[in-house]
Amino acid sequence: MTEEIQYIGEHLIFGQIGYFVIILGFVAAIFSSVAYFFATNKEDTPQFNSWRKLGRIGFTIHGISIYTTIALTFHIMIQKYYEYSYVFEHVSDDLPFRYIFSAFWEGQEGSFMLWMFWHIFLGAIIMFRAGKWEAPVLSVLMAIEVFITSMILGLYVGIYKIGSNPLALFRDTSDMPLFNNEDYVSMLSKFADGLNPLLQNYWMTIHPPTLFLGFASTAIPFAFAIAGLWRKDHKASLQPMLKWGLFSGAILGTGILMGAAWAYEALSFGGYWAWDPVENTSLVPWLLVLAGIHTNLIARATGYSIKSTYLFYVLTFIMILYSTTLTRSGILGDTSAHAFTEMGLENQLLLFILFFFFASIAFMAKGFKSVPAPETEETIFSKEFWMFIGSLVLLFSAILITFTTSIPVYNKVAELFGYDLNLTSPLEPIKHYNKYQVWIAIFVGLFSAVSQFLRYREFNWQGHQKKFFIHAFASLVITGVLTYITSLWIQLGTWQYALMLFFGIFTIISNLDLITFLGKAKGINLSSFIAHAGFGLMVIGILASGLNKSFISTNPFAQRGLLPEDMLNENVILFEKEPMFINGYEVTYEGDSIVDKTRYFKVNYQRIDKVGNRYESFDLYPNALYNPQFTKIATFNPSTKHYLNRDIFSRISGLAPGEQDIEEAQAIEDSLNYYNYSAFLNTPIEVFDTVKVKEFGLDTTVIKRFLVTIKEVNRSPVHHEYKPEVGDLAVGLKMNIQFPEDNKSYDMEPVIVLRGSLLFNYAAQVNQLATKVKLNEKTLDAIFTPEDELGYQSFELKPGDNLNYNGYKIDFLNFEKEPTHSAYIKTDNDIAVGASLEITDKEGQIFNAQPIYLIRNNKPFIIKDEVSNLGLHFQFVNIDPKTGIVTINIAQHKKLNKIDFELAANSFRNDYIVLEAVVFPGINFVWLGTCMMMLGLFVGMGRRLREKVA
Amino acid sequence: MKKIHIIGIIMILLAGAALFMASEDIATYSTFAQAESVEGKIKVAGQLVLDKEMYYNPEKDPNYFTFHIQDVEGTEKKVILYGSKPQDFELSEQIVLTGRMDGENFVATDMLTKCPSKYKDDEIFLRESDI
Repeated sequence: MTEEIQYIGEHLIFGQIGYFVIILGFVAAIFSSVAYFFATNKEDTPQFNSWRKLGRIGFTIHGISIYTTIALTFHIMIQKYYEYSYVFEHVSDDLPFRYIFSAFWEGQEGSFMLWMFWHIFLGAIIMFRAGKWEAPVLSVLMAIEVFITSMILGLYVGIYKIGSNPLALFRDTSDMPLFNNEDYVSMLSKFADGLNPLLQNYWMTIHPPTLFLGFASTAIPFAFAIAGLWRKDHKASLQPMLKWGLFSGAILGTGILMGAAWAYEALSFGGYWAWDPVENTSLVPWLLVLAGIHTNLIARATGYSIKSTYLFYVLTFIMILYSTTLTRSGILGDTSAHAFTEMGLENQLLLFILFFFFASIAFMAKGFKSVPAPETEETIFSKEFWMFIGSLVLLFSAILITFTTSIPVYNKVAELFGYDLNLTSPLEPIKHYNKYQVWIAIFVGLFSAVSQFLRYREFNWQGHQKKFFIHAFASLVITGVLTYITSLWIQLGTWQYALMLFFGIFTIISNLDLITFLGKAKGINLSSFIAHAGFGLMVIGILASGLNKSFISTNPFAQRGLLPEDMLNENVILFEKEPMFINGYEVTYEGDSIVDKTRYFKVNYQRIDKVGNRYESFDLYPNALYNPQFTKIATFNPSTKHYLNRDIFSRISGLAPGEQDIEEAQAIEDSLNYYNYSAFLNTPIEVFDTVKVKEFGLDTTVIKRFLVTIKEVNRSPVHHEYKPEVGDLAVGLKMNIQFPEDNKSYDMEPVIVLRGSLLFNYAAQVNQLATKVKLNEKTLDAIFTPEDELGYQSFELKPGDNLNYNGYKIDFLNFEKEPTHSAYIKTDNDIAVGASLEITDKEGQIFNAQPIYLIRNNKPFIIKDEVSNLGLHFQFVNIDPKTGIVTINIAQHKKLNKIDFELAANSFRNDYIVLEAVVFPGINFVWLGTCMMMLGLFVGMGRRLREKVA
Repeated sequence: MKKIHIIGIIMILLAGAALFMASEDIATYSTFAQAESVEGKIKVAGQLVLDKEMYYNPEKDPNYFTFHIQDVEGTEKKVILYGSKPQDFELSEQIVLTGRMDGENFVATDMLTKCPSKYKDDEIFLRESDI
């Protein structure tokens, strides 16, 4: 049926090219991998060159194909061709161009392409630079590419779908009645999903490419490890493995760090690390690559640990695949706060990991026999011994984290065998992980400190012994003193944390010792020093910010003394402009403003010392991000005040329901009980209402009694929601509402606007009384007597004349050449003149009026003016240009009617925010320490790169 | 036997012990019926009962939120959370609560809500409210 429809407005060519190049890229990857495979096996034969040439051709075609696919996807996204489902799902008309990249890798297909982008980029470096390693390394890398390319194939084999094509047409991927319309394309833009508002920030632009470069980079030391086992050239593989291992550690670490910084800075998680499965599965490969780097260093220096090095690099990559499988298969759904939903790629992902798992085992089984065994055993007084133990500690950490993160996998596996385990993550996941990782930190601190005092291949322990003990003892003493001083700042609580702090400081001191006294500050020591000292600083930062985190926003007046200890009051309510004193701060919610689709809430903090003096003031702007339709709040983002020694983090944890969602606001408006009242000007009336309220879930009623006075009718009213337009008839009532119980009174001004035949109502809310007032058409009737019923009398006047009308003295003062009037909006060709009138009543009170006579497009207009308190109306109807005599019509309506308004006493306050404010002491140590660890890895890599040139 | 082998054996034993201890922490999902007989904290997965009242009035107390959920066996309980009401709570498909029974009510100390995403292929964002 659908085949017969001739669709219009589609751009099919991109999909057709895309379909072709993806398949081409897939076939080329297989071809290249196989060709390089034969090249490796025939390394010393004449066929080598031709196999290698074929491998290179395959690699190049694969690279061009994938890069073309990426370019095509970008093109359709930039052009907003919504007939493609990937465009429809990730782009919308209002998406700013700067977020196109984010939208590109928001989806699974895009992130697979990003991953391949980096593999090809790194593969090209290998092709040009790796020499004899090119063939085996690229054979492995291209085999990996075969699997990833299959994820974006979008082919159907029978009922099985292989991969999901980013260039698939929307009408091919889903079935909707919309596709019966030949012009469906033009209608799609209205429904396009666009980029999730949570992801519309610069972190989403920089974090995924870095993390995926990190992911992709782990394939290189892995491929070198396989290549080393394959070519049985175990000594020569160590140098490139180390170089790429360091690169991988540095980039992957930076990617993880960016994720942590994103979570802390811009998301509402309230911390930088939550032991979420998605975080854990990217941390594990990083720990393993670090273990690999350490055994790699041992192997290069001593010849020990070659097998471990291979094993660690292989495990790193396998765990990257494991991470990919977990986060992309939907299996983490119950335990993770942010995982992809399933896409039907589970079996392909499983095949991916199993293939490389078994292939690696096969290579290791075959290759390990040829690894040279060291002739002597290492002594326990050697550097390599303790470095190796340190690597095992990192492995430990990886195993423990993986063990708990894999809980959903156990359920899944048991399900296959017909069991229902019903397992779930620990009740207190953060405590659970911390309990074990504190020991990892202690041992990493210990071993990284001790190994700095020792030497590789120690043959002369007797000679070195004295020096070792002196330095170790001195460092321990200094560490002890520093730990004591630091513990005065950080309340450690338990001895495990004290031990963690001690060894964190110990590693800093021993590394300082190393570069100042023991070794000379050569490049190699420098990188190790930076990284390990960074680790120590990070430990201090983790302890300080984690253990001493404190809530400013704990309400000191919390009602319930019955609260269990583990339930803190973390939120506090702030009413607009009402300062609140909490925990040494005076916090005030000052007001809000909207920029684009973000609503900023200005919160002022003033620190108060013990005597009550304010000594520091700053503003934070936690914000709420709206959805693309601007109808409801999508998420709240924090705002943080940074100090050198601490951060003050604050975020909105709630607003009044009507402020969060337009539908909710409408529902609340509908639930209000408005009653009609009417009152004369300046005559207070009493208003009673019985309002149902809830006190902790119990229904009660409250009788509200107010005194309401209409003070004045305002012809040029202002209301924050009202935007005046030409021709509007707008009226506001300046009203006062008094609450006799506390004698407080509040001013308000509801507004009603007649625009053409439509009435617009702008209610006024008195938040303190939870009361809302609005006007209706009767209000207008009471204020506006129809002109023809007023009974105008005409008077001819010159400037300076006066007259008497119903007991009022009316002076015509002069002409106004530049008249202003709320109903008059000046245009260029207007000829307008106003008559300035002064009215004096019997009591001698003076009022002013200024009716206008206007000639616009050769037609005369009159704009009347009114003194509403007296009920006087003035029209400026004619002017004699020769004599300057004007005709003024004057009328007074008989008596001012009662004016109608509606009042609902059961409204809700909406002028507040619920705030969470947290102090993170020492958080900068976390960032400084982790950045130093990455820097250390980069410096180490830089040194290895120079080594090759030398 | 080489020293490294001794160390290796010690480490394997340690790892075994650590894993055994870690496995003690693994929780299973309970039902409200089971929760009544348990002293400590438990985890319950369930669905929000939409026709029962949901109460959150920050003007009275910004750290008090109650709602009703139904567990897998269909038992309904009122849940008290001493924290703020999460964004889009009404839309949640599934709620995982950690906490304990207190009389007829379930007092939650931690809550994970799973929301349907209109963004089909991207990440589902869940909101955690640790209290």
